[in-house]
Amino acid sequence: MNAYATPSDEEAIGLYLHVPFCERKCPYCSFYSEPLAEHEPAPLISAMIAEMDRYRSVRSFHTVYLGGGSPTCLPVQELARLLDAIRSHCPSPAEFTVECNPGQTNAEALAMLRRHGVNRVSFGAQSLDTDELEQLGRRHSPEEAIAAVRLARKEGFDNVGIDLIFAIPGSDLAGWRRNLELATSLDIQHISAYSLTYEPGTALDQARRAGRVEPVDEDTDRAMYELAIDYLASAGFQQYEISNFARAGFACLHNQGYWHNRPYIGIGPGAGSYFQGRRALNAPDIRRYVEKIRTGEEAWEQSEPIGRDERVCETAVLNLRRRQGVNLAAFRQATGADFLEVFDNPVRRHEDQGWIERTPDAVRLTRKALAVADSILCDFSAL
Amino acid sequence: MDTKYIRNFSIVAHIDHGKSTLADRMLELTGTITQRQAQEQLLDNMDIERERGITIKASAVTMEYEYEGNTYMLNLIDTPGHVDFHYEVSRALAACEGALLVVDASQGVEAQTVANAYLAVETGVEIMGIINKVDLPAAQPEVAAEEMEHVLGIRRNECFKISAKTGEGVQDLLNAICELLPGPEDRGDEETKALVFDSHCDPYRGVICYVRVFSGSLKVRQKIRLMHKGRSYLVTELGKFYPEMTPVEEIGVGEVGYIVANIRNLADVSVGETITDDAAPADEPLASYQAPMQMVFSDFYPGDNTEYARLRAAFEKLALNDASFSFSPQNSPALGFGFRCGFLGLLHMEIIQERLERENDVDIVQTAPTVSYEVVTRDGDVRRIESPSELPDRTHIEELREPFVRLEIITSSESIGGIMKLAEGRRCKLIKTDYLNPTRVLMEYKAPLAEIVYDFYDLIKGISRGYATMDYEFTGFEATNLVKIDILVNGQPVDALSLIVHRDHAEQRGRKLIIKLRRAIPRHQFEIPLQVAIGGKIIARETIKAYRKDVTAKLYGGDVTRKMKVLKRQKEGKRRMKSVGSVQIPQKAFMSILDTGE
Repeated sequence: MNAYATPSDEEAIGLYLHVPFCERKCPYCSFYSEPLAEHEPAPLISAMIAEMDRYRSVRSFHTVYLGGGSPTCLPVQELARLLDAIRSHCPSPAEFTVECNPGQTNAEALAMLRRHGVNRVSFGAQSLDTDELEQLGRRHSPEEAIAAVRLARKEGFDNVGIDLIFAIPGSDLAGWRRNLELATSLDIQHISAYSLTYEPGTALDQARRAGRVEPVDEDTDRAMYELAIDYLASAGFQQYEISNFARAGFACLHNQGYWHNRPYIGIGPGAGSYFQGRRALNAPDIRRYVEKIRTGEEAWEQSEPIGRDERVCETAVLNLRRRQGVNLAAFRQATGADFLEVFDNPVRRHEDQGWIERTPDAVRLTRKALAVADSILCDFSAL
Repeated sequence: MDTKYIRNFSIVAHIDHGKSTLADRMLELTGTITQRQAQEQLLDNMDIERERGITIKASAVTMEYEYEGNTYMLNLIDTPGHVDFHYEVSRALAACEGALLVVDASQGVEAQTVANAYLAVETGVEIMGIINKVDLPAAQPEVAAEEMEHVLGIRRNECFKISAKTGEGVQDLLNAICELLPGPEDRGDEETKALVFDSHCDPYRGVICYVRVFSGSLKVRQKIRLMHKGRSYLVTELGKFYPEMTPVEEIGVGEVGYIVANIRNLADVSVGETITDDAAPADEPLASYQAPMQMVFSDFYPGDNTEYARLRAAFEKLALNDASFSFSPQNSPALGFGFRCGFLGLLHMEIIQERLERENDVDIVQTAPTVSYEVVTRDGDVRRIESPSELPDRTHIEELREPFVRLEIITSSESIGGIMKLAEGRRCKLIKTDYLNPTRVLMEYKAPLAEIVYDFYDLIKGISRGYATMDYEFTGFEATNLVKIDILVNGQPVDALSLIVHRDHAEQRGRKLIIKLRRAIPRHQFEIPLQVAIGGKIIARETIKAYRKDVTAKLYGGDVTRKMKVLKRQKEGKRRMKSVGSVQIPQKAFMSILDTGE
């Protein structure tokens, strides 16, 4: 066993696949994607399958997550080809999620996903309000999202989640409450609720800079966040991470792997991996990616080893995003470091100010710290 | 040499009025240097001086000049151009019998010209009025001459009209110097007295003193005594500047030169010191000695606390060549370890600041410049303080005195109103207004130094669209109704933010300051009260609201590296701030007290 306690490949490894196609780019989105109409998907899917083949040595993946982009915008035969390949790599993952665009979901597609072993679907609903969806530049309607969720249940998915965005320009607390009411009235198990982020380089951010878009004020943003936590709890959705809520037993296993800081392999253009002590990012360009795979090159364009200190810090930051916080024993096992010893100073300081609380086995952010978590987590970002 | 053929003189002028060019032309016409050498303005030795057009340290050049069949020794003694170096200028003038007061024909008399003329008059030297740059298209030599007469009492028809650039009139001027300026008194038989009017430190030879012999003479291997310091040294070298340092065996009465005598530190020989013979000393020193008076103080902290030692080394280096700059260790609860530095005036401070940054790669955080105050305690003790934090408890203070200056401003007549309003707001008392001509006016104020120490000059420049010039001379300490303002951040007083201000302005200044601080201090997770206290009583409050939201919404696999970097930057940002209790104060907040907010 090496002293740095890097995770062994036996550990639960996640598999993420990034389908970089969308019908068209949403103005707030900063993930890598391209309009499908401009590309031939088959060579990319072949390249992704080839990249996956490079990880034959990984005996099995604990979880699979197919995201994007919009995987559901792929032609059915290409999607099926990809799903077949995934299945041959990992026949029975504990969780197999596919992100679905509510506007692109029909019974056939859902049935096909089921057939290929997908056991969880996550709908990018974003909002259940027509005006808000329009503000976000989304093409689907609230009705479509609701119908898609019902259809998924009907097709036999018993683990369905939706994404919601709050603090959309022009929205208010009452509107957000209506979103939450409607969402929790659906037969779903998981809700991700994100405050709208103005990511640099996005069309939305440009609009904000140009003054064409007025962000929701900070107090309202905060109130919306607090409302989400309270309202969702009252509706049976427990918060288990900064932005994630689930009914008991339905927390997303794959994403929990990230916050636990377990290894994962990312397949496809722009996908990130954390494997064998390195973080790497695949070429975020379809053409370059395909070429790299074709010529037998590594798929990544950036890669850096994660040293012991970085691992300690990343693990701390990621763990603290979880509602359960840092499990001291698990932290020691994963990093070889004593959390309370390494972070004695910030833990004490923030504990004094009521941002951090401790139990005998864990350290976590207090409820009031969640909304300002970065200002606390930054003190754990370096030693 | 017969003293009747010696002429010792200075050139005094406003910045850019052509002092250095005139000196170069004289050196050329007397054959002291060639034209090519003159391209470099020889008298200015340091980069910053040349760039800023300011001569900081005086030096002296000896020229030989044939006039009516006789060889004259002309000693040109250069003076610092700014009245921050008031005392140095006065010592340079004291070494002379004459002064050439140079005025730019296109600009006319400026505030600095007035200040320099006053000094020359006080020193008792013969003044020759020079109107320079008559070759410029915009030159109005008659107007300038009229101003000379009006403001300085130099007869307009006696002014020399020259162009130092083209050389026009400079020969006549040299002749006039021989003809009109008096030579030194011949006191060769008396005990030796020589005035040190400048000095600098040479890495190999130690201190080099610039001297003017008033009586007796100096010889190599003579044992000399510094009359104020009371120390004796053996003269190892004497010399003159031609303009290169040229050793001589003797410096006779009335002459100017340099002396090397194994003096190690600049601090051992102050400007104004009298040198006499150790074996046959004079009874009385020349009446001139005065320690350099620092009027402006500012704290310098290393941007990074680990740079403290480097900052110290940098200051030590600077002090080696500038005896009027001082520094002492300072420990501020808010800013950590740094140095309190004393300067002759604002310009002196800026020069040191620039030199520090240019010659030493050290990041510095500088607090607002303050002036020194005199505190009279209840038990009658009078002491000088350099920082609000040195102020004793209120109950022990009998009287608080602040430095006053005589302030001269020359400006265009249309800006008088704006300047008067500004000056009034700064507690300046108008002494007189004097129209130099229908469009230009000289205003003389009695002003508290503290009020003009920071941004006053910039403001009058703004009001007059760049036209106004100002200068000032310290006149003395006077009791005024001063109070100390304390600033409390989150309930804790922050020493580096304290101010001493006049009671009438205290509340307003305090309020403005906390408004600035409110903008300069980033929001925290909690609300931060900012309070102004005078004599323990809170008189104003501002609140920095807590931030409500600061959390990355999405953090999944592909984002980890990027988000960690963002968090590290956030942490780094915190590190560069100074912690006062649980509040992080960025360095720019400490500078906000500089700004009086006009």
